[in-house]
Amino acid sequence: MNPVLRVTRLSKSFGGLSALREISLEARPGQIVGIIGPNGAGKTTLFNCLAGLYHPTRGEIQFQGRAILPQVSEAKAEHIQQCARIFMVLGLIWLPLFWSFFLPDAPFKLELMLLGLFILAIRFLLVQGLMRFQIWAWSLMFVFLLSDLCFSIRWLTPPFSPVHLVGTHVPLGYFSWPWGLVAGPFSIYLMIQLWVRQGRQLYGFRLSPDAICRLGMARTFQNIRLFFNLSVLDNVKIGHHIQMRAGVPGALLKTRAQREEETLTEKEALEWLRFVGLEERAFDPAGALAYGEQRRLEIARALASRPKLLLLDEPAAGMNARESSRLIQLVLKIREKGIAVLIIEHDMRVMMNLADHIYVLDYGRLIAEGTPDDIRSNSKVIEAYLGGGAAHAEA
Amino acid sequence: MGFRLSGQNHRRLFLGLVLLAILLPWLPLGASTNYILRILTTAVLYMILALGLNIVPGFTGLLDLGYVGFYGIGAYTSGLLAIHFDLSLWLILPLAALNGALWGILLGAPTLRLTGDYFAIVTFGFSELVVLVIRNELWLTRGPMGLPGISPPSIFGHLLTRDWEFFYLILLLLLVVLVVVTRLQDSRIGRAWFAIRENEIAAQCCGVNLIRYKVTAFAISASIGAMGGAFYAKWFKFIHPDMFKFWESILILCLIVFGGMGSIAGTMLGALILIPLSEVLRAVLPQGLFSARYLIYGLVLVLMMRWRPEGLIPFERAQARKARVAKERLKI
Repeated sequence: MNPVLRVTRLSKSFGGLSALREISLEARPGQIVGIIGPNGAGKTTLFNCLAGLYHPTRGEIQFQGRAILPQVSEAKAEHIQQCARIFMVLGLIWLPLFWSFFLPDAPFKLELMLLGLFILAIRFLLVQGLMRFQIWAWSLMFVFLLSDLCFSIRWLTPPFSPVHLVGTHVPLGYFSWPWGLVAGPFSIYLMIQLWVRQGRQLYGFRLSPDAICRLGMARTFQNIRLFFNLSVLDNVKIGHHIQMRAGVPGALLKTRAQREEETLTEKEALEWLRFVGLEERAFDPAGALAYGEQRRLEIARALASRPKLLLLDEPAAGMNARESSRLIQLVLKIREKGIAVLIIEHDMRVMMNLADHIYVLDYGRLIAEGTPDDIRSNSKVIEAYLGGGAAHAEA
Repeated sequence: MGFRLSGQNHRRLFLGLVLLAILLPWLPLGASTNYILRILTTAVLYMILALGLNIVPGFTGLLDLGYVGFYGIGAYTSGLLAIHFDLSLWLILPLAALNGALWGILLGAPTLRLTGDYFAIVTFGFSELVVLVIRNELWLTRGPMGLPGISPPSIFGHLLTRDWEFFYLILLLLLVVLVVVTRLQDSRIGRAWFAIRENEIAAQCCGVNLIRYKVTAFAISASIGAMGGAFYAKWFKFIHPDMFKFWESILILCLIVFGGMGSIAGTMLGALILIPLSEVLRAVLPQGLFSARYLIYGLVLVLMMRWRPEGLIPFERAQARKARVAKERLKI
């Protein structure tokens, strides 16, 4: 079976501190993959990178065969940079060219010249940004596109067209108006490129966490992040958000489709609550639940988005033995649905019972992987957990 | 508020209030009827504004200090359309709402990426900007001379001039806004807003597109504010830049905080208590002290924060009531 998640040589550094170094791992549908490691090993950082909350420094994440991180293809990048260079050169030669060609009689004005140079400087920055695939450059370009189009229309219509213009009266910034004739089509071309299939990714856009969730990855949090003032049922309904379609008009008019969707959502949310054993608490505020119940509610909320991959960040933290064995049953039930589960856990009993495959992190590096039995006897792992001396003592 | 109301009592209370509102102009209150009606019209207008503002800080959890900007935009849209094109109110209201939404989107789309206080500062700047533009663009708004001579609204050729007519008109408007707000609140969009308020990161990881829903909230809130402004211009028949000062924003925010952030009933109750309070103070306070009424507002708010920081009808209680209703519905 194809892996639902494949991480290749993923690195993340915060300033000089590298939290993750060259991590590679895989998860297949219906597999429970465990990630263990001492505190500060980078487990939660890894989850945040997967969920799109952090932006990895290097590496690749393939989710259901699709790259989540921006992959700028060399050929496309070269093409864009070529275009950007032409854009820049044209901008530089345009000013003197235009001045001498269209306004030979106009007196030279310093402020006009300075304004022109200023606009050119901004455009120069813009091109630099485009070449480095900066997102702000795309939005700035959109602004320029609009102004270019407006100005080029004014430039072509009577009172200001070069034919009608009286040589000595030049409006401020006049020379930059026809710039739109050059820049407009170029910008339009780039914008179209941007919106073609997967163009966003091609040009360096990262997927936001909500887009990743829509692809089918759901997660829970180490420090519980529920919507505490809402009812338990509403929490799960929000988890179901991406399965719904209704927009503002639908909600305002209460269309038939919207009402049906609401009843369906309610039914499904109750089903998920039953799945995690919380249906009796459905109408209580989420903040009133006990700690273990809150953890299970987080799982229900994550499941309601019908994920292909579920990330559980220390689901058994703070649970007693009975609760954690109940959690084990729950995770096994989730696996039966064919969902891949990636689980971070400190409770070794839970981990050894659950995981099909375990990865061990230490100081951001992958130090071991294998079945629970392999891990148990791995000397590197024992060293990481108990310190160097212990491993030697045991050996 | 020591007593608890069951679902049915709530409904009865609500119906009673509606009936009272409808009958009010015909109650024998003597010569002061018009005075009372005018105060209540103001109160209902502020209820609408508070309901509109409530969407942003109450539902979505973003502090918005520039709400009066949209109110002003709506009022001037309405005034200018009425004076130059002589449009009827029924055209002006949606146009003003659209204009408000447009400016809400224009302001919100770039700035809603900011968090917390920074966003509040930007909205504050926006409302000041609106007033400055209104004050200085003489060719459009006549600036400090104000905009007099706005024609009163008409229904089927009948000009609305009496106080009870305006009272019914604003009640109708309130009803529309109420339907809009409650329906949004109970829908997928409302839940997404609540999620953003409760925990932005968790909302994002549940697939809620933050920017889109924040901009939606901002636009809808702005359009309700603009609608309020449009009514105000048509009612008062004269508008002036000084009517849309920063303090109005704070006042509307006070109504929400007083009534209960995020709860619709609380917001309305807050407006219904605090706005007429100003008139009561006018009667009670000596002439020279009347301008000190904001002081008393402040005092009320301070006491409120001390004894009941979550407002008259807290959001949690409104949610709990909704949950009880849902429970009864699903059990049967």
